[in-house]
Amino acid sequence: MDYCLDIISDEEKEILQEIMNIAFGKAAADLAEVINIFVVLSVPKIEILNSQDLPSYLKTEVSEYERVSIVEQNFWGDFKGSAFLVFQASAGRELVSLFGDNSDDFGSESIEALEKETLMEVGNILIGACVGKLSELLGDAVTYSPPRVVTENTHNDAIPANIFESGSSAIVLKTVFCFNERNVNGFLFLVTSNDSILWLKKSLVTFMEQYE
Amino acid sequence: MIKKILLVDDSPISRRIMKSCIPKDRDYELFEAGDGLAGFETYKEIRPDVTFMDLTMPIMDGSESTAKIREFNPEAVVIVCTADIQIKSITNVLELGAFMVMKKPPSKETVEDALLKAEEHIG
Repeated sequence: MDYCLDIISDEEKEILQEIMNIAFGKAAADLAEVINIFVVLSVPKIEILNSQDLPSYLKTEVSEYERVSIVEQNFWGDFKGSAFLVFQASAGRELVSLFGDNSDDFGSESIEALEKETLMEVGNILIGACVGKLSELLGDAVTYSPPRVVTENTHNDAIPANIFESGSSAIVLKTVFCFNERNVNGFLFLVTSNDSILWLKKSLVTFMEQYE
Repeated sequence: MIKKILLVDDSPISRRIMKSCIPKDRDYELFEAGDGLAGFETYKEIRPDVTFMDLTMPIMDGSESTAKIREFNPEAVVIVCTADIQIKSITNVLELGAFMVMKKPPSKETVEDALLKAEEHIG
């Protein structure tokens, strides 16, 4: 069914793409302030999908990773949805050292727990700053669930199958990034459902009105 | 005196935002390009007084385009307007010869201020 392709116009997609670009740029700068890392950014993409196609879309997008680690966080406001920060499974190990000089700094915690906490922290900063800036630019404020880390799953299992009710549509904001010094790359997907679309369309108009 | 301004950004929305922030009462002649390579080619063709340059773009990014423009004309005034506000990105483009860096989204005030600074620099 093609109806979802008309949910937002090409121009609205372009506005959303630019806002996502600004929001993820802010998130990358926030992360770079906390840990010594440089984030290589790319041009974000916006996709409109039927929600039933979302799990297979997300799996296809991350299929280059045999095993994945995903930080998942939900957000609520007028802008409501889920964020998925997807890394290859080895990313946690690569990133742990950014938070301390060596494993002795972390006391008795297991390396798996450290990797999970590191991913959670990185995810919390990137998702929080990106969604926060996006909401701010569109005149909203959101609250977040605590981040949840799913590690060491195959990509076939890692993405929840029923994010939104079937028959609804989903807007996916995707950005690809790379942590230069650590050979780590990943994807950030923000997925918002029907509930936010009317608000989103109005907010995009309001955003552009200041530039008329 | 600034007469010609080149806007280099892959996002048509971003170029529209930038155009709306440029003062209308000064009869600037505006030119546009959609990636860093097209920006460099357009620069050589029209020789703008000021170039507003995005960084994250397909085909050729804004850092490389800035470097090429400055290599072609060491006096070129390139104002980077970017969402990539990491210190390393800003330092890098300033080292490549960018005149200044503005963060996105621009406002009428930040663009006017940048043009005033560029005007003073050009003399």
